[in-house]
Amino acid sequence: MPKKQNKHSNKRDNEETKKVNEENKKTNDTEKTAPRIIELNTVTKVEGHAKLLLNIDENNQIKKCELQSVEGSRYFEGMLVERLYYEASEISSRICGICSCAHTAASIKAIENALGLKVTEQTKILRELFTVGERIRSHITHMYFLSLPDYLGVESGMDLAKDHRDEVMRALRLMKLGNDIVSVFAGRDLHPVSATIGGFLHLPKQEEINSILERLKEAMPDAIAAAKLFASLNYRKYEINTEYCTLIDDGKYPIMEGDLYSSNGDRFPEEKFTEFFTEYHEARSTANFVVKDGKSYLVGALARLNNNYQHLMPEAKKILKESMKSNPQLTFPNNNPFIMPYAQAIETVHFIESAINLLTNFTIKDEKPIEPVVKAGKGTGIIEVPRGLLIHQYELDKKGMITHANIVTPTAQNLRFMEDNVRKVLPALLNLDNESIVLEMEKLIRAFDPCFSCSTHFLEVTFEGPRGKN
Amino acid sequence: MKSKKSEGKLRTEPEKPKLKVGFYGITGCAGCLLSVVFNEDELLDVINKLDIKTFPFIKEKDTDEYLDVIFLEGVVASNHDLETLKKLRSKCNILVAMGACATTGGVPTLRNFQNEENFTRLKYHKEKEIDDLQPKPVDSYVHVDYYIQGCPPDKKEILHIINDFVMGKKPYMYSKPVCVECRKNKNPCLLEQGKPCLGPVTRGGCNAICLNGGLMCWGCRGPADGTKENFDIFIQMLKDKGHGEVFIHDRINTFQGWKFKEIQDAKETE
Repeated sequence: MPKKQNKHSNKRDNEETKKVNEENKKTNDTEKTAPRIIELNTVTKVEGHAKLLLNIDENNQIKKCELQSVEGSRYFEGMLVERLYYEASEISSRICGICSCAHTAASIKAIENALGLKVTEQTKILRELFTVGERIRSHITHMYFLSLPDYLGVESGMDLAKDHRDEVMRALRLMKLGNDIVSVFAGRDLHPVSATIGGFLHLPKQEEINSILERLKEAMPDAIAAAKLFASLNYRKYEINTEYCTLIDDGKYPIMEGDLYSSNGDRFPEEKFTEFFTEYHEARSTANFVVKDGKSYLVGALARLNNNYQHLMPEAKKILKESMKSNPQLTFPNNNPFIMPYAQAIETVHFIESAINLLTNFTIKDEKPIEPVVKAGKGTGIIEVPRGLLIHQYELDKKGMITHANIVTPTAQNLRFMEDNVRKVLPALLNLDNESIVLEMEKLIRAFDPCFSCSTHFLEVTFEGPRGKN
Repeated sequence: MKSKKSEGKLRTEPEKPKLKVGFYGITGCAGCLLSVVFNEDELLDVINKLDIKTFPFIKEKDTDEYLDVIFLEGVVASNHDLETLKKLRSKCNILVAMGACATTGGVPTLRNFQNEENFTRLKYHKEKEIDDLQPKPVDSYVHVDYYIQGCPPDKKEILHIINDFVMGKKPYMYSKPVCVECRKNKNPCLLEQGKPCLGPVTRGGCNAICLNGGLMCWGCRGPADGTKENFDIFIQMLKDKGHGEVFIHDRINTFQGWKFKEIQDAKETE
């Protein structure tokens, strides 16, 4: 679609030029500006509720920069205590509507590890499939309805429906495919019902599986078109160095299994995640931060591609390589978080291909869930979910009652890195008017595809202290 | 079915203004709002039929306009939620509580019935800064006109209710227990197998989707009509099947603890 490419980049270029002009004008007009407090009460087009508080003094110094979640606390880790091992997945899936399958799968994996239960290959495949279904719909939702409006110059995903109907129809088709995969393999599209400890309470019929396989094949052109569209967008030129943390599953693009891996080469088995990451809370805020070696890091689609792009399925790899050639901004490894929607688009192609692979010649066998031997233990389950690493950890007593639960969500992990990015981007924007600052900050936060419902630990972030132009 | 006559009449009548609708969320998981969006085939039609003024994460610019209908997801778990809720109630004609959190309190209200010390470590000794309220469903604070039950709500039920509003019809609220649809679907009875299925005391209308998928009913759609009397019998039945008192109450409290408490409180005051 070369025509569309031009259209997008032109529009963006004009906007950029206009902004730069405005910026220059303002700098010339007023060296000193009145002190201002910007309150963005709702960071829009992100999942959950968050707000951003900025306090900029007359010398354009940032006095205060607070990103706060205004989501009420739900204390899921407390609610899971004193519940039985087989109840954890149903309760913890309610942490997040967008990632309910992810929480279910991670929770089950952690409990099975605590009980030392090994499941069948079929169970592993079915779990991977409903997780893939969720991945597709989650990525598409962020790419098309939250991100794309910014790049096409419309206010919302709803406005897209008027002028970009073909794109919206494509997004809805892919979203429906994702939902139907989850429905077939997990019994319902939101908050799965069939997945349980040891296997599945209900198995899909062979004809349902065959029909999903056909639809996955039919969806490839849509997924490829989406990837090409997102490769054509004009992302902000920006770079920031950080570590990328993902699972690593030797020879395979990671999703359900593998060791923890950082782009600096560190590698740990999943049960040792507390040695890999440090969770802490600070006196100045109520948030629980997660850091690695005292520093922020990134998880999610961009991190996964950076660490594993050589293991992409053929079609996804082909698009990635072509885009690298045609657009130097899209080389990998890549240090620009603004290209997150593109990384998600590449993953969408990859996961559709990998699902086709899993289902080709797949025959469903009538397997009942394996009954575990209940015993005391501690188990960790880490999987790759749409927004990055999701960690569930439980301790069980000898009756299988949960005595301790720890859940670390991707957004909680990306929080510190988002904070670092706000700090890095903001100084360059200070000559803009408040409204433009707000828009740019929103675009930045949105690029990370944060999920504020999910980050159960994320309560409040306050940036204090000297704020040099770093 | 429209007759030819009425079609003709409709054409000559001036077009009715579209309903002004707002979708909102307070503390929750966004699952109910996604359930609206996941009606992929009907979504563009819905957007067309309604004048949607605001929708979380998709069209988030809030409006000061008075709205015909507000669909609200989430539980009241903070002072911020409560303020939002009161503001929303005052700016709409019809308030629809959508999903388990809004209608029964759902999973977040479970914590009202658990040991307080399970939560202390999660508060990081920051009680003052954390804007906590005891989590409660929406109708503990304001009048709710209609309920869409379930966690998640049935996405087709949401469409039906939207269509009813568009046609000026009063939405139908299903009130029979989950067992009715479950028997119709010929699922094996899990209660008979001794499992703590909450189907008999839970409002149906979900087509017993969990049971179809092999899972016991967790009670996400709240108490069915007439459950006031049935709860005691039901609890006794589970005890007879060998389940402990604490376990039974944990199961009930997971999704409908708050409504169960309201029923028990009402009995005491009778």
